[in-house]
This record gives sequence, C-alpha cells and structure tokens, in this order.
Amino acid sequence: MAKLSLKNIVGRNKGFYEIISGLLDNLSTASWIEDENGNCLMGEPQIGDTCQCPIMLEETIAGWVKGSDKAQSVADLLSMLLQRESAKKKLGNEVLSLYQEINIIFNFTEALTQTIDPDIIASLTLKQAMHSIQSNSGIILLWDEEHQTLTTPAVTGEDLFNQDGLRQHLPLLMEIGLSGQSEIISDIALLKEKGIIQDSVQSLVYAAMKVKHRIMGAVILAGTAPDQFSAGQLKLLVTLALQSSAAIESALLYEKNIREVREREEAILRIHEVTKKFVPNEFIRSLGKDNITDIKLGDQVEKIVTVLFTDIRDFTSLSEKMTPDENFRFVSSFNAQLGPIIRSNNGFINQYLGDSIMAIFPDNPADAIKAAISMQKAVFELNRNRKFEGLPEIRAGIGMHTGPLIMGITGDEQRMDAATIADTVNTAARIESLTKYYRSPLLLSRETINHTIEKHDFNLRSLGNVRLKGKNKLLNIIECFDGLAAHEFALRKETLASFNEAMEHYHDRRFEKAIPLFEKILAINPGDLTGKHFLENAMTYLQEGVPDNWTGAEEMVIK
Amino acid sequence: MSKKILIVDDEAHIRMLIEQTLEDLEDEGVEFLTADNGQSALELIQSEKPNIVFLDVMMPKMNGMDVCKKVKQDLKMDDVFIILLTAKGQEIDRQKGQEVGANIYMTKPFDPEVLLNKAIQVLGLEK
Repeated sequence: MAKLSLKNIVGRNKGFYEIISGLLDNLSTASWIEDENGNCLMGEPQIGDTCQCPIMLEETIAGWVKGSDKAQSVADLLSMLLQRESAKKKLGNEVLSLYQEINIIFNFTEALTQTIDPDIIASLTLKQAMHSIQSNSGIILLWDEEHQTLTTPAVTGEDLFNQDGLRQHLPLLMEIGLSGQSEIISDIALLKEKGIIQDSVQSLVYAAMKVKHRIMGAVILAGTAPDQFSAGQLKLLVTLALQSSAAIESALLYEKNIREVREREEAILRIHEVTKKFVPNEFIRSLGKDNITDIKLGDQVEKIVTVLFTDIRDFTSLSEKMTPDENFRFVSSFNAQLGPIIRSNNGFINQYLGDSIMAIFPDNPADAIKAAISMQKAVFELNRNRKFEGLPEIRAGIGMHTGPLIMGITGDEQRMDAATIADTVNTAARIESLTKYYRSPLLLSRETINHTIEKHDFNLRSLGNVRLKGKNKLLNIIECFDGLAAHEFALRKETLASFNEAMEHYHDRRFEKAIPLFEKILAINPGDLTGKHFLENAMTYLQEGVPDNWTGAEEMVIK
Repeated sequence: MSKKILIVDDEAHIRMLIEQTLEDLEDEGVEFLTADNGQSALELIQSEKPNIVFLDVMMPKMNGMDVCKKVKQDLKMDDVFIILLTAKGQEIDRQKGQEVGANIYMTKPFDPEVLLNKAIQVLGLEK
C-alpha cells in the first residue's frame, strides 16, 4: 500500500487546492503548509519564529500548517481530509485484494476446466497455491479410502516433506492433514520428530480436500520463516483445495468410467470370441449380419450350399470299450482334427452331433470334396498311430449333398439357436449313412458333382440310383476315391473302366455280363467292398430275377 | 507536464479498483482522472490529453468502442494509449477493438499485476 502523503491529498484535487489556498489567504499572518519532512507544499514559507499546527493522521504527524496562530482550524481540516482519504484507501485495498482473490479463483477454475487428468489438476492446484501464497514447499496428498493408499500427485518447491515419512505415519496424518480440517499448524515439533518434515520448516498450513463429507486428501504448504501464513491465506488455500477436490473427483470418476467401459468392452469381446465358437461367424454373416447381437428370432437366408456329414463307423462298439471320459476325449480329439480341415476349405461346422459333424460349405462344392479327401487322409494318419499303440482302427464315413438350404434363427425369445432347415440336410445325412450300405468311405450326390466346376479334378465312380425311404425322387450316388490310401487308390483307378462297364451291364439287367467283370475287379482288388456289394446283388438278381419295373435303383427300406 | 491516466467505467468499484491498482504511480507524479460515461470521457480526453485511457466497452450513453473510434479516427489523437476493458469471453470484441484503433485489449476480471505493469511500460516508468 502506497504511503498516503499530504502532497497527494492537496495536489490531487484542484477544488481542494483552491479552498485551502483561500483559507490560508484569509489568515491574518502569511501561512504555508509543509509536509512531515519540511517540504513546502503550499504558500510561501517565512523566516523566523512562527506558530505551527500539526496535521495528524491517526497518531503520526503528517505535516504542518505554519505561520498564523489561527492556522489550527486549517490543520484540523487537513487532518480530517487525510483521515477520510486513509479510510477510503484502506477500503480500496481490501476491495483490491478481494478482487485479486476472485481473479485467482477465476483463472484457476478456468484452468481446471481444461483438463480431466487428476495429476495435472493436482499440479495446477499446487502451482496456484504456491503462486498466491508465499511458501517454500508444497505437497498434495490424496487418500484412497477404498484401497487405503496414500499418493502424492504433486510436490513442488524445496525438499521439505519426507514422503516415506508421510506414509509411515498414517495415524498421525489422520489427525493432522487428513483430518478434514484446514488450519495453520502451530505445533510442528511432533511432525519434525517423526521425520515427516525437515527441521528448517517453521510454518505449516494445510487445507482439506473433500467432496461432501468424504476426505480426499489435503494441500499442504510449508514455510521456513515463522508465522509465514495468515488467516486470509488459509482461507484462499481452502477455496483452492475445494475447487480442486471437485475437479479431481470428477476426473477420477471419469477415469473410472473409462476403465469400466473398457473392461465391459473387453468382456463383450471375450463373449463374442466364445459365442462365435458356438454359432459360427459364417453362419451369422450368411444372414447378412456383422455380429451375433444383431441377430433376432426369425432371421433367415436361403442359399445353395453343400452339406457334409461325417460319422465314426461302428462308434457304438468302439465306445463300449471306453469309459465315458475316454469316450468324450476320443470324440473331442477326433473333432479337433477335422474342424481345422473344414475351416481351411472355406467351410464351417454347423453342428457337432456326438460322434458326427455337420459342416456347411457355402460357396463351391469342390471345397467340400477337398475337405472330405483331407479328412480321410487325416483319419488314415490317425490310424497309423492307433495301430502303433495297439488300438483298433477308426473308420469314418463321409457323405454330402448340394442343394438349397435355409439358415436361420429358430427357437423362442428365451432360447434361440442357429438352425438349418432343408431337405438338403436330411439328404446329406442319408447319403452319409449310405456309406455303410455301399461300404464306401466317401459318397456324393449327383447334385454336388453337377455344381462342381472342377469335377474332372476328382476320381469318381457312379454307383447308380437310390430311392431313399419315404422319398419319390431318385438320388444318383457317386463315390469319390481320392482319399483312399495310395495302393487302394491305384487299384481302384486300375479297375475303374471295368467297374463302369460292369455297372452299365448291371443297370441294363445283363447280370451275366456284369458278374464276371465284378469278379475280375475283385480278383485284382479284393478290398473293393463296393464292387463286392454289386457282385452279390447281381448274383441274386440273376438267380431270382428282377421285377418288370426294376430300374436298377436300390430301394432303401431303412432310414 | 505531468503524466495522466484516465479511468473510464460506469461501475464505481471498477474505477476504484483500477485507481487502487495504480496508486503507486501517484508517487511518480502521475495524475488520475475518472469518468463514468463515454461522453464525459471524450471531453476529458480532448481537454486533458491523458497518456493512457482505461476504457470500459459496455457503458451507457456512448460506449467504449465509439469513444475509441472518435479519438483515434476522427480526432487522430494517436498519442493517447487506449486500453479497452471488457468482460471475459466476449471474443468478438477483440476484433472490433482492433478495428476502432484500440492499442490493447484487456479482459475483466483483470490481473492487477498485469494492469500495473502495462501502465508502467506505456508511461516509460520502468526502473
């Protein structure tokens, strides 16, 4: 606060100057005004003994009116003016310091809105506190009630706080600092004794950081001079601490929300990872959806696809020799081998049905045939190991059919399932079961071959027509023997022409011509059980004859 | 001739605050003048030719912008350093202030230190 000088009072206002000057002129003796240092401010100083009247400001002499013995009234007037001006200045100063505080808080609040990082908010708070309140060191303590942990997100100034000491004396801290109070600490000896603050600290002030009634922490300032902090400064610190508390609280909440959202997203992602193993992505995509959550009851799509069924032959007798656990593990390892083959050939597993698998190949039937061949080879490899371990061989049958299929979501609102509804599925399953009848490991329908552009890439034998039980339509069954072991493949290839010739005779009821051909084939390849099947048929028909309406188609009496 | 600062604001407490902020300059012989409206501010500027004018923008009768425009553009008083004062956040005023020829622009609440330092600098009183 600038010193209030008589010069400024007198000189400041022209009106004042004129009135006082007039009063001086009216005094009988020439009079003048001097300041407390003897500088003349108004009138002409005279030499010699003169009267002098003091101009008082509170208890001190601010100047003199000299000359006339009647000057006392002028001095009194000036005293009063000075007094008034002083009071006005004091008030002005108080207003200014309040205004400065408002300005600090205004700027601080504005700065707080710029960030959502709790550490940055803490640093800003401490910086502002240190800037507004003369201090040597500052620290912010944050107390996490839930985890019972103390953090110090901001520390500035001289090294006056011992952070390890703070953590070691939590109970003391709960009384001083984290008490929820705000105060200027008068007795700091104990804190020094415990090694929480350095010996050079003489003054300590802290303000609680709290939201509602929950104590979040404190802003602590230290000074190396005694009685460094005033009550006004404590009040400012409290204001800053409270502003900061609210900001840190929302920042922490924001962080928590972000963390929770991220965790929730990860959980959803994990659920998706798992669900897509139950309902294949291809299934969902074929319904025109991106995600399983987009799917609703009744969604469906119709498409020409190839459905493949595979089944472990004689699984029942095989499983009888195993415990349920062994059984399960056996099926699991079998499925685990075939799954990747299906996927790598652009197919997907629609369903596991115990020891059998239903797979769908939505694009090219050649994918399904290639997958089937690879699966046969995989079973062949598996058997090599099993043989080595003295275990019985596994035989698997694979059948497939190509046709329209409705893929959709069925069930009710509580329980939905991916379902494939079509005769194509039934037919494919039936063809698979025909592998037992014909004793051939891999059978396709004519429809599959008709839809296969690369049909010449495969080695095929036509096995004639079949009428499935309960069906009117005849089904032309084709065997693919590319998946057989090398020597078996070679023998089948060698006898292919004879087989085709034999089948032609067979269908034209020339059993007497068909029989020697089948016998010739079996002589070369005794393992051709399909050939053997037709030979047996032909021999029966030759002996017993066939009905007039016989077409060569085999009537399936069982499903 | 002594240096003069004119403080123009219709709010008495702002005039008082600025005066209080700048009180140290009194010892340097700086004279303070005040006005509570644009009209008397314009008259004082012409008669007293102050070195600095702290000019509030939002005032009754004649607003700060118009006063500034008259002084700088019509009266061509380039030597008068005009500091426009306005409430924070009225960003559009900044450009308008430049257009009417204000020297600088300060926002309320102002930082007293910044205000004092600016006055010292403009008056050439740095030590």
